[in-house]
Amino acid sequence: MTDAALRQPQLSRSPIARGTARLDGNPWTPYLFAAPVVLYLLLFQGYPLLRELMLSFTQTSLLTPQTSHFVGMRNYAELAARPDFWRVIGVTALYTAICVVLAIALGLGAALLLDRPFRGRGIARALVTIPWAAPPVAVATVFAWMLNAQYGIFNHWLKLLDLEIGYESWLDNPRLALPAILFTTIWQIFPFSSVVLLAALQGVSEEVREAAQIDGADKLSIFKVAVWPTIRPTVALLVLFVTIWSLRRFDLIWVMTQGGPIGATKTLVIELYTRAFVARELGEAAAVGMVGLSIALVVTVVYFWATQRAERAEGRS
Amino acid sequence: MRSPASHAIRMALILILLSVSVFPIYWMVVTSLTSSANLFADTPQLVPDPAQAFNYADTFSHTGVLIWLRNSAIVAIGTMVLSILLAILPAYALSRFRFRGKGALGFLLFATQMLPEAMLVVPLYAIFANLALLDTLGGLILANTAFTVPVITWILKGAIDGVPMEIEEAARVDGCSRIGIVLQVVVPVVAPTLAAASVIAFFHGWNEYVFAQTLVSSQDLRTASVGLASFVGELSTPIHTVMAIGVMYTLPAVLFYLMVQRYVVAGMTAGSVKG
Repeated sequence: MTDAALRQPQLSRSPIARGTARLDGNPWTPYLFAAPVVLYLLLFQGYPLLRELMLSFTQTSLLTPQTSHFVGMRNYAELAARPDFWRVIGVTALYTAICVVLAIALGLGAALLLDRPFRGRGIARALVTIPWAAPPVAVATVFAWMLNAQYGIFNHWLKLLDLEIGYESWLDNPRLALPAILFTTIWQIFPFSSVVLLAALQGVSEEVREAAQIDGADKLSIFKVAVWPTIRPTVALLVLFVTIWSLRRFDLIWVMTQGGPIGATKTLVIELYTRAFVARELGEAAAVGMVGLSIALVVTVVYFWATQRAERAEGRS
Repeated sequence: MRSPASHAIRMALILILLSVSVFPIYWMVVTSLTSSANLFADTPQLVPDPAQAFNYADTFSHTGVLIWLRNSAIVAIGTMVLSILLAILPAYALSRFRFRGKGALGFLLFATQMLPEAMLVVPLYAIFANLALLDTLGGLILANTAFTVPVITWILKGAIDGVPMEIEEAARVDGCSRIGIVLQVVVPVVAPTLAAASVIAFFHGWNEYVFAQTLVSSQDLRTASVGLASFVGELSTPIHTVMAIGVMYTLPAVLFYLMVQRYVVAGMTAGSVKG
């Protein structure tokens, strides 16, 4: 009988914390353990966020930040009144939606291809994740070169195929720039979803799969019955993360197009950076940032609400 | 069970997938080893030309690439060490204790994932100016760690969840303090996941661009991401020089990743977030 076990009853009545009763019972231990990280995040994330929020209600120039005027909701009202800001929202929504759908769909396709054993599977699984290990700025640089109008390898291939779209300047063309950026982004991030889904596929029950096969089910039915229910929560989580990351992504787009041509690839974060460092209006930039953060927050709340509802529904069935 | 035809189709699809994944990296290497004349030829050179290796020597002497890579390495290693130091104890607390405010701590860690770096650049600039952290690599390490610590904490918590309590109790009876238990008993058991988490933090520091671009202004404190991005739209530097820098920045990261990817994948799977 250890001394910790003897103290257990008193522990469960402790108003602050219940340590893992079988170990020592100092109720302050978890707080001591968490304190450094909480202070760190409050200093380098919480406090800057608060300052950004305050800044969004002011008119502040990057050149003279000392002279800051309180303007209330004016920055927000001006954003809402500008058609080009709604275009930024539209580009952001399109970019995010296509990233989510294609990165996860391709990731799932790759995961299904690499799931069952074959010779060289280990090497194939390693190679397929390479894009994810490459630095985004380097990826942006090499894709910009491959997409070069005159000397890029893409247009060379298109000419070989004798399509009528050779010599197009991808990143300078308002209609082609966003597809080019999307192509680059998805190339970089789909390996992440394939790694996560490969892990999830290990949870697929062999019995259910075999039972479906014995019943003579085709591949699609087997997927629906045996695979999809197992990986669905993982797919939902991926949707959340790819959405949040797409809303945050800056480096790849900035290096490739800086949001151009004529705003065709200008997402919220690019707009925020442009306002802060090109237009030098810190207050307006902060307001853009707050709009972006609100969207991320809404997406997250919807995700948690939907997953809880799904869990409750499963509990009832 | 499976027909040869469907197996052949599957292998073909896998080959296409791998080609698409590897080609841009390969193309970076090819371009860096292409002569100036061949860069603008009608038919592109599809294989690297070893005779052009002197291009790398030229790149070393004409650009600051070595200093940039050194700075990126310092930022990456600093971010890695600080992230791990900050993350171990809260990960243990989240895994082993029930305490008031645990949900709030979990939410705080998740909420940081929603903040775009670009959004915090301006206020961080002001804060760093007050703390004399502007234009220092230490400042970049501090800013990057704020974004890596939450992820690392979740991954480590997932690993500690899988460590049986009995291991700790033996040490407890021997009169070990709680911190002693974490460092001497728990950390060795979760070492593979710790390695994976370290790699993830290292990569974040190695790749980071926004903070390195805005919080540092000295030429000799530039990181490789900022150095490489500075050539975009700048027409006087030949593309094979830019691509040589790209290769020097990308290849070490990719090779390092290939060596440790088994652990990274296992670590990510262990720490898969459960609500």
